[in-house]
Amino acid sequence: MSEWPKIRPSGDRGILVEFENRIDPEVNRSVRSFALIIESENLPGINEILPAYRTLLVAYDPLKIEYQSLVEKINFWIKKAKSIDLPPGRIFRLPTVYGGAHGPDLKMVAETTHLSQEEVIQVFSETRFMVYFIGFICGLAYLGGLPEILRVPRLATPRTLVPAGSVGLAGGQANAITTDQPSGFNYIGRTFVNLYDPLLFPPVPFLSGDEIQFMPVAEEEALRGRGKQAVDFL
Amino acid sequence: MRAFEVLNPGAFTTIQDLGRPGYMKYGIPASGIADRFSGQVANLLVGNPPGAALLEVTLFRLELLALNDLVIAVTGGNLSPTVNRDPLPMWQALPIQKGDRVAFRARKKGFRAYLTVQGGFSGQEFLGSRSVFVRGIMGTPLQAGNILEFEDPEGKSIPQGNFPQEMIPSFSILNPLRVILGPQEERFSPKGIETFLTSEYRVSSQSDRMGYRLEGLAIEHLQGADIISEPISRGAIQVPGDGLPIILLWDAQVSGGYVKIANVITADLDRLAQIMPGESLRFQSATLEEAHLAWRMEALRFERIKSAIAGHG
Repeated sequence: MSEWPKIRPSGDRGILVEFENRIDPEVNRSVRSFALIIESENLPGINEILPAYRTLLVAYDPLKIEYQSLVEKINFWIKKAKSIDLPPGRIFRLPTVYGGAHGPDLKMVAETTHLSQEEVIQVFSETRFMVYFIGFICGLAYLGGLPEILRVPRLATPRTLVPAGSVGLAGGQANAITTDQPSGFNYIGRTFVNLYDPLLFPPVPFLSGDEIQFMPVAEEEALRGRGKQAVDFL
Repeated sequence: MRAFEVLNPGAFTTIQDLGRPGYMKYGIPASGIADRFSGQVANLLVGNPPGAALLEVTLFRLELLALNDLVIAVTGGNLSPTVNRDPLPMWQALPIQKGDRVAFRARKKGFRAYLTVQGGFSGQEFLGSRSVFVRGIMGTPLQAGNILEFEDPEGKSIPQGNFPQEMIPSFSILNPLRVILGPQEERFSPKGIETFLTSEYRVSSQSDRMGYRLEGLAIEHLQGADIISEPISRGAIQVPGDGLPIILLWDAQVSGGYVKIANVITADLDRLAQIMPGESLRFQSATLEEAHLAWRMEALRFERIKSAIAGHG
């Protein structure tokens, strides 16, 4: 019997369900299948869920459902989730301008990886990044699939402000930040497509399981993405 | 309708309601009133639904000019509120007149006060809530010159009952905050857990609605501070590599990659909301059953107060 999944309290109104302890598309599929089952059950007392890389938080109201009976239901749903098929993810191809003012760290990434700037752009833009989950703050997509050749460290000193839409990498991970914010990632390009809008529902275009490709385009064309929604680039 | 002109926005004043739970999976924290007990009582006192939009006032210096005859209530921390320089009685409905000035002058107790107006404040809704969440581009703190609008109240009568004055929270910082250990308590040495549960931590000046950074003895990890990023519950206490805990609160990120030693229980979050940077706190371990019982007692207390204010008490 495997030690996974594990179920344990996360405070007095959360249950953390943990699958195998690694970042892996298969493990993440288990998380997503489980999430799909919980959402379809729509059990009163469950307030919301957050599926992540290998864990899922069930936020509940202990005045409506008891911890133990929820744990029993969770165990049942985990079994049930093994037999379901996940809907296929979508592929977003976002116009992205690389280098120059929009990608201030491209040169450094090229130096660190011993590639030319063109090669960095090529390897990065040919990668179909998988969205493992949406979290952090303002709908940040946790992306997987960065080729090992592009592994670079975080900046020694994080930038105090990086503009929304900046596309970057660090520590084997990639991201496209959704709002202006401080960051220690190496930013090599920028998309102007809207990645977060608190006046829209849903406020974030991606779902876990989707894929994103950052297509290299000229600045003019990238700028034409401004104000457009990511679903226009499916 | 116009309620107030902001003469001085104060240290940090935002419109809040009960927030926007349900958007964690989009990377959006629930936000909302930090001291939910005080905020909801303020609303009940003027006959509003408990979750109507109100002002969360941090520390002092906020000064407002009434642009209409209004019924207001102020609850929460005692920040020496005044009307036209006279002390403003807290924890009760108070009619004020056009031209009156409401100000918050000095912090006596607590950290956050709540000012509501009969009808509730207007303000743009984002994902079903008016709670300002600055980092999420959902509104901004008050600024000088802002005109605050309010919704026309349906009934203009003030509830018949009173808030039982003996139930005004003491905002004492002497009692420890109760926590449930985990979900990664095994990533700390026994000595680390002991440090956490027995020492005193000072709330750093770098604390806000996102989180309270604590200063004190470093907590010893067993195998580093990093985990694969995972969801964060409100009140989670993460311990990054430097060993100093951070309590993640109302506007915090929904996911993160540091180990979490414990989680403040829900029944103690209101009290935490009234602890000011510079003050100290301690933690005490509780069981899940104790936490749920404390929460149930809180809910019962609130129901009793609701009846008392409505006049059926």
